[in-house]
Amino acid sequence: MIRLSASQRSGLVGAALLAAVLVAVGVATLYFGSRYQIRLVYSAYVNLIVVLGLQVFMGNARITNLSHSAFMGIGAYAAALCVTPENIKKISLPAAPWGLADFSLDPVLSAAIAIAITAVLAFLLGLFIVRLTSIGATIVTLAVLVIVHAVFLYRTDIFKGNQAFFGIPQVFDLAWVVGIAILAVIVCRLFRESRWGIQLRASADDEVGAAAMGVEIYKLRLIAWVLGAVILAVAGICYAYFLGTISARPFYFNHVFLTLAMLILGGMRTVTGAVLGTFLISFGLEGVRYLETGPVLLGIELPEALGLSGIALGAVIVLTMAFRPTGIMGNREIETLFARKTF
Amino acid sequence: MEYVIQQTLNALSFGAEYALLALGLAIVFSIMGLVNFAHGEIIAVGGYTMVAFASLAIGNPVIVMAGAIIAAMLASLTLERVAFRPVRKADPTTGLLTAFGVSIVLQNIFLMFVSPRPIAVTSLYFLDWPIEIAGIRLASLQVFETLTTIVVIVALMLFLRRTVLGLAVRAASLDFEMVRLTGIKANRVFAMAFLISGLLAGLACIFIMARRGSVDPHLGFDPVLKAFVACVVGGFGSLPGAVLGGFLLGAVEVAMLVMLPQSLGGMTDAFVFMIVALILIWRPDGILSPAVEKGDKL
Repeated sequence: MIRLSASQRSGLVGAALLAAVLVAVGVATLYFGSRYQIRLVYSAYVNLIVVLGLQVFMGNARITNLSHSAFMGIGAYAAALCVTPENIKKISLPAAPWGLADFSLDPVLSAAIAIAITAVLAFLLGLFIVRLTSIGATIVTLAVLVIVHAVFLYRTDIFKGNQAFFGIPQVFDLAWVVGIAILAVIVCRLFRESRWGIQLRASADDEVGAAAMGVEIYKLRLIAWVLGAVILAVAGICYAYFLGTISARPFYFNHVFLTLAMLILGGMRTVTGAVLGTFLISFGLEGVRYLETGPVLLGIELPEALGLSGIALGAVIVLTMAFRPTGIMGNREIETLFARKTF
Repeated sequence: MEYVIQQTLNALSFGAEYALLALGLAIVFSIMGLVNFAHGEIIAVGGYTMVAFASLAIGNPVIVMAGAIIAAMLASLTLERVAFRPVRKADPTTGLLTAFGVSIVLQNIFLMFVSPRPIAVTSLYFLDWPIEIAGIRLASLQVFETLTTIVVIVALMLFLRRTVLGLAVRAASLDFEMVRLTGIKANRVFAMAFLISGLLAGLACIFIMARRGSVDPHLGFDPVLKAFVACVVGGFGSLPGAVLGGFLLGAVEVAMLVMLPQSLGGMTDAFVFMIVALILIWRPDGILSPAVEKGDKL
């Protein structure tokens, strides 16, 4: 019998509350949503898993990471390469080296391989990244993003570059991604409240002080980094297993900023913040995109305004940073909003 | 031998452009710890000013160039007032993210109000003609660029060492509160730093536009990404570091272009970034930055 601390118990309560919200949104979409809306909500859930993967490292170690979309891409491509049937790969990747076009695996095994590859890569890179401090670490993650993208574009014989890598069987539907997102929420929340998570957060507040108390900062950062990468790989797999086609473009700067804005708006220090920010921006942007097309509102024909969604996204980042640098949630998790103030 | 000289000169002119941009980033960072990613959009403001002059049928190159520089300086000042003042005291990460946000907003404003497509600007083509000295072929633009960077470095050095405001700017990067105690207005120091940064962006804009001949909303993003890297490698916040980092990056880039086989052409950026990452792993705070103490200062 594992004995949980008070913060871990309240963490489980918080995770359960968030899970209830995720289930409610998912069920409502399944019953009332059109095909297009289901697709939209699916991609919101995939982005939620990305933001959670980002939160594990960025929220606890408080080092800005810009390479998350690259890890998502690695997971997506690795799973896609394994799971796509041979006959399709023979057509789409005729020049694939190392016999990559000569086999195909079942989805579960493919996902496991993709996660393992991403984790190993993240571990090797993490050995260097965790030793750097704020801006230096951010630059190295930026370098990782650029390098991974360049490899995707350059090895067209494996990744097809900016062209679509097609023929991935559709394995997941909305119910699956809701389940996986809930799992990710629980993992992130338990990590945050675990001994490791608390020590890591302490080291972010005061690096020298935490080290003096015996916190092994590099080791903890590495654990959070690899755990984050695994969650990102899962997000990539969910993306590939639903859409059926992937290309290099969605795993670059635009996606990096989109997901970063989600985490910042909600508040990177908490899991609740990650969920809130993702939902606000996913559904908010859809509203702005509607305005972009120049709709007729209240009898007034609005002009077409390409770029409005970009302006909104940038403005969200700037305003959050100016008025609430810790995001909407700050240091509060969902259950503290309901709890009576007894402490 | 000629080939080596040729490539060295190429590296020098590449490096000059990066150094010019990196100085613009470093002078702001040294004072307020802000990584100004919106620097690239200030370059784009200069570019769109040239478009505006062209549509008004003003072709006089002096007016066009001066206009672009002044527009860039004004844009830089405006950003300081509107966007960066609220995050003045925040940590570098907050500033970095704010600057990213500003950069996205500006790019999309260009996209929405001007055009998502590149617009041709031909008024500066006259700056670029081929020269040949002793068998070495160069573009006049490369010479102008290297000379301008040298002049800028000397002028900046004189300003920072010989004038009161320059001294205040240098002192502010060490201890801002002390500068304020001596009676110098904080806002003036910040405005000065952003004005210089805008001036450097305007100069860089002229060279970039003379080479590319067109402006689009994403004009400044790639050059500033490289300049940012140059700054970090040289030692963030250190002005000599920015210059060193700029020239080093130019050298690495030309070396990669020369040494990598043709088949790896698409991988130049990947290799450049890899070398940069390795430098940072070797010296996490950059080459020319002093060691930082992490504990509380009394």
